[in-house]
Amino acid sequence: MITQRTFLNDLSLGLSNIALLSLLSESNALASNRTTLQKAKVAHINPKAKRVLMVFCSGACSHIDTFDYKPDLIKYNGVPMPGAEGLKTFQGEQGNLTRSPWTFKPRGQSGKMISDLIPGIAEHADDMCFIHSLQSKTNTHGPGENFMSTGNILEGYPSVGAWVSWALGSENQNLPAYVAIPDPRGTPQSSVNNWSSGFLPSSHQGTDFNSSNPLRNLFSPSHVNSAADQATKNYLHELNRIHQSKFIGESELEARIKSYSLAARMQLSIPRATDLSNEPRSILKMYGADDSSNKLKSDYAKNCILARKLLEEGVRFVQIFNGAYQTGGEGVSNWDGHKHLFQQYSKHGPVLDQPTAALISDLKSRGLLEDTLVVWCTEFGRMPTFQKGASGRDHNPDGFTAVLMGAGVRAPFSFGSTDSFGYKAIENVVSVYDLHATILAILGLDHEKLTFLHNGFERKLTDVHGHIIHDLLAS
Amino acid sequence: MIIGGGVLRYLIIRQKVVLSFLAILLGNSIYCSEFETKIFPILNDNCIPCHNKQDKKGGLYFDNYSGVRALTSDLELVNRADPDESKLLKLISGKDPNTTMPPKGELLTPSEIQIIREWLVAGGEAPSSYDYEFKIKHWAFQIPDHDSPNHKDKSIDYFIEKSLERKGLQLSQEANRRTLYRRAHQVIIGMPPLYDEILSFINDKRQDAWDELIDKLLESHSYGENLASYWLDLVRFGETDGFETNRERPHAWHYRDWVINAFNKDMPYNDFIKYQIAGDSLNEPVGTAFLVAGPVDIVKGQDPLLGLVQRQNELDDFANTTSTTFIGLTLGCARCHDHKFDPISQKDYYAVQAIFSGVHHGNKEIYPSSVERTKLKSLEDQREKKIKRIRTLIRGNLLPPTNSIKNIEPIEGVEVEYVRFEILETKGNSEPCLDELEVYSGEKIISLSTFGVEPTSSGDFKHPLHKLSHINDGLHGNAKSWIADSSKDVWVQLNFPKPVEITKIIWSRDRDGKFSDRLPIRYRIIAGKEGTEEKTIASNIRRADSITTGSLPEFSLLATKVQGNQKEELHLLYSELKTIEKELDIYPKKASVYAGQFTLPKETRLLYRGEPDKPRGLVNPGVIESLGAIEIPSDAGDKERRLKFANWIADKSNPLTARVMVNRIWQFHFGRGLVATPNDFGRNGVPPTHPELLDWLASEFVNNGWSIKHIHKLILKSRTWKQSSKPTQDGMRLDSQGRLYWRFSPRRARAEVLRDSILKISGSLNQGIGGPGFSAFEIELENVRHYHPRKDYGPNEWRRMIYMTRVRQEKDSVFGVFDCPDGSQSVAMRTSSTTPLQALNLFNSEFVIQQAKLYSEELKSRYQENRERQINGAFKEMFGRLPSEQELELSKNLVESAGINSLTRALFNSNEFTFIY
Repeated sequence: MITQRTFLNDLSLGLSNIALLSLLSESNALASNRTTLQKAKVAHINPKAKRVLMVFCSGACSHIDTFDYKPDLIKYNGVPMPGAEGLKTFQGEQGNLTRSPWTFKPRGQSGKMISDLIPGIAEHADDMCFIHSLQSKTNTHGPGENFMSTGNILEGYPSVGAWVSWALGSENQNLPAYVAIPDPRGTPQSSVNNWSSGFLPSSHQGTDFNSSNPLRNLFSPSHVNSAADQATKNYLHELNRIHQSKFIGESELEARIKSYSLAARMQLSIPRATDLSNEPRSILKMYGADDSSNKLKSDYAKNCILARKLLEEGVRFVQIFNGAYQTGGEGVSNWDGHKHLFQQYSKHGPVLDQPTAALISDLKSRGLLEDTLVVWCTEFGRMPTFQKGASGRDHNPDGFTAVLMGAGVRAPFSFGSTDSFGYKAIENVVSVYDLHATILAILGLDHEKLTFLHNGFERKLTDVHGHIIHDLLAS
Repeated sequence: MIIGGGVLRYLIIRQKVVLSFLAILLGNSIYCSEFETKIFPILNDNCIPCHNKQDKKGGLYFDNYSGVRALTSDLELVNRADPDESKLLKLISGKDPNTTMPPKGELLTPSEIQIIREWLVAGGEAPSSYDYEFKIKHWAFQIPDHDSPNHKDKSIDYFIEKSLERKGLQLSQEANRRTLYRRAHQVIIGMPPLYDEILSFINDKRQDAWDELIDKLLESHSYGENLASYWLDLVRFGETDGFETNRERPHAWHYRDWVINAFNKDMPYNDFIKYQIAGDSLNEPVGTAFLVAGPVDIVKGQDPLLGLVQRQNELDDFANTTSTTFIGLTLGCARCHDHKFDPISQKDYYAVQAIFSGVHHGNKEIYPSSVERTKLKSLEDQREKKIKRIRTLIRGNLLPPTNSIKNIEPIEGVEVEYVRFEILETKGNSEPCLDELEVYSGEKIISLSTFGVEPTSSGDFKHPLHKLSHINDGLHGNAKSWIADSSKDVWVQLNFPKPVEITKIIWSRDRDGKFSDRLPIRYRIIAGKEGTEEKTIASNIRRADSITTGSLPEFSLLATKVQGNQKEELHLLYSELKTIEKELDIYPKKASVYAGQFTLPKETRLLYRGEPDKPRGLVNPGVIESLGAIEIPSDAGDKERRLKFANWIADKSNPLTARVMVNRIWQFHFGRGLVATPNDFGRNGVPPTHPELLDWLASEFVNNGWSIKHIHKLILKSRTWKQSSKPTQDGMRLDSQGRLYWRFSPRRARAEVLRDSILKISGSLNQGIGGPGFSAFEIELENVRHYHPRKDYGPNEWRRMIYMTRVRQEKDSVFGVFDCPDGSQSVAMRTSSTTPLQALNLFNSEFVIQQAKLYSEELKSRYQENRERQINGAFKEMFGRLPSEQELELSKNLVESAGINSLTRALFNSNEFTFIY
């Protein structure tokens, strides 16, 4: 009856848990033909994780001040970086090597050195798999975020979440497969391109809302009477049914009728997810959602609880952002600490730390970490030097850290390394493509086979690059 | 893989293609040219069916250069020392006891074996570009014969019916007139018709009523607006920069108007192409806005590599969008390596990139239309003539021109406490220099510092030779001069200890006559005294050079310079001049248009793996060689490069251009092209469902002056287009996707059509055409722009959606989810998804609810309180029909319980309203 039938048949060959919700209908000569065929070929082999949580620190969160401990940086604090004469990074010339203002301490059984900027997150060291040798292709925020989120520095490419939604659909019939939760202060630098569907059908775009900004148009405006609202829906349904009888077998019409029923279900399920009133006090406290002294933190904490609830409900891909550009660039409300690293990070650290740490604990205690992959990432790293004449660090795409946790991930484990100051990745260099290939692998997807034909290209998340880093996978 | 033996013969007919192929061959050794005529046919007939890149039987393939070389340098197969002992020869001559090649069918003839033997002896070479051959034999690269006798007396229906018959299907019956009328409006102008018009059309029994309707719709301005929305998708048009800052491009809208007008006046498509690539050479400078319609990263860091990468991405966007838009080929693959599927080498890619090497993002001051430019030119000429005569008339009554040695300024006696010399402009636009500024009372100099006169200034150029104190030290010459710290709007002032009467000022740049640079040419001298108003006591206007150059002073000032009957003449000239200037004033001025900036091209180098820091050899500007080379000198300027390239694309012998465009027009009507991959006519694309029809349409296009409207009319007058959209059993069973066109397949209207239709029905549509668009957002003016969806809408936002400012990344908060593209890349065909978010937006958004309410008010005022008439009216206007009894009953119940607003809201959401069928 519906076009989706053939589609679903194809998918049932290899893919599981397909939901109608976001895939109601995609009719495009290509999408309906080739892509379904292609998708049927997508091997869904040995998935370790069913869903993904991506925590994205927008603005380039410094690895030097969080996870990448460098004793030499303490030792050589205040002297020029050897070989860096004349080196120009994004904003220009370098000052001296500068140790992190935060102390690093051994954490957990593994004794991993993590800074005091994020003591709560550090508690999870034993569950973490660190990639210390990431490199980006750009030192500019917009393209950098695009690259981390979509695998391309340019705009208009599908995000990781969109690829995953397209390949795996949703486990929940009443929620989108892919939700992006922007920071309470606003959107990240590359804004919605971070959760774009690119050339994939637009139904795979991340649906963006957070605990303070509900999904737009989820309900009719308050001035519309709710009884009238319901009567209108019922009437519309009847009218469409009568019309449908003149076009028997017309699947797109059928799909449209269904979309209104699904919309009605979303009206129930989304408020359930954003409503925190049923969360016990202990949970609110654990996340810091009740912290009246730090509104930013409590707002972000509410987003973290929302993220957990969405994952719990089976949303396939949740991307939560920490840091925004609306309320001030250059580190004011994001991790771009060019000039005043200590003051700015002292503000951002506590906002990020407790809620994110609680989210991990919560996922763990509910058993969700067993089939959820958690990715902590940022667009690139920062310099071990301070900028000339400033008290902050410039952009550094040549070495930075990402953290994996949860399903399918080897932990505790540290992979790759930067040089003795944390400037350049030198050992087991990992590209963003590699990271993406590995994320897909943990979901059971082969990054070389997950393709979509667009304007003459067989597009992949990893373009023509990317290698799965097998060392990162749990044995 | 089956490869016919006639490939080369076929190619030889297609001279142009073959010429370039031969050129490639001739570049190699003599054996290579032998390869083409002698070796290839043998391989093609006997070996390649199994030994090709796809099948690779035995790991061998002979359908490209590397495969052939792998064979002939395989020591096991080929014995260099003694070719007769080669295993290969044994295999093909049946002398190997175990295997024979080819394994089935006839063996090679002795003479064929001999040819292979000789070839091996000579080294077994093949031309390095050998695999191009297989790429260029692809259907889309064959030059269509626009005058083919096969095209005679054909029609769209002929081709469609032929393919339907083969499948045992037939065209559906013609849709009823009501449906056709509505469909024609939705498809051509993107909005539904009014009910009264439908009625009169239904009753119009004349034979040519349909043709008349089509003409009328294609003549309406709305047609261009509708078609332009497709074109803007295709050329990734946006009115912001994209990337992180996503700044507005307030001057980009000219291109939208230009496209709308081009479609409306049916600009020949070949010209339309040329103007967009090289309009600055062809008196259509707005066209080049196409080149720079895409996103650009304006955040430039200090890292030099970053700059190179950014520039490469811009060039890639120019080259790739041009190729995708006009010839449906993706060049981008060849940025890093030769194209895998299409005959595009990496060198081709950089040759095309070199075409655009002088193109940059940015605004340009131009006259938006050619008519305006011509009129303006004539007015400006007249103005110049008048000014020249006025200047001649009054010259001779003025002070000598400004000079560097000595300028005397006679002054009517005035009492001052200070004198300020203000410099508005300097020769050469450098910082002005004065060696002395002398003020006189009678013949007595009174301004020297020794008299207690103190100089002040707007700022001094720091230099040991040039000091502020030099201005009134009584010493002359460059070494005793003052220089300001800026090039214009600067001043130096002499402050007298007590009020003095002055009668003359003398100033100079260098009284010694050695330096004449830094000379003030526009200046005024101001006198001031506490308690009175400052006044200008001298200025360059009194000097002869002010009349021969620069703008003309006011009449009152001019009049003081002439005597007697000259005055009358001056008055007449001056009033004529003012009339011309007034007329000029109402003419559109040069406008800033985001049409790109053009500079000298830089050298282009092939980049290893596309990496900007790995440049290789120089590449000359050029085209895709396998599609016909053209000559562009390596030192050609920017304009010449683009113009030649444009001509190459717009040439009717280009095998792709016309096919690609008629396919787009077909898609405009049927929702899907004859080639389902409209931006990819290469080997990776989907072959046409009706190749003959495609070629026939292309010929019609080219032979009728590249008229887009001609193709529309052919399609609209066909029975294929006029079919009913109702499903039939056979049709659904044999061709459920409707690829053979046994009916007019229904489809959901695109976002623009939905929004415009709602506005038209509700009566809110603001019919304003052209000009800057309206914004769907409130813009937060941060360095990084943020776009917040509007909360209120008014008539300004109720224009057609084509005029909604296209903000990259962001989409309209209501209609954006109906598959609107975000302007990052060329979109030839939007996906057509159906999602719950669409349902939520259309049902709950303030925009739709407001329109439903406005429409309800309209119905109430039109039909008073008669509920049934209101309902009938709504159905007629929205669906073009009356409600059925059942529908009427349901509607009455709804209106009774929930009001008329609920009815109109529901109808705006209904399938019947949102579909074109």
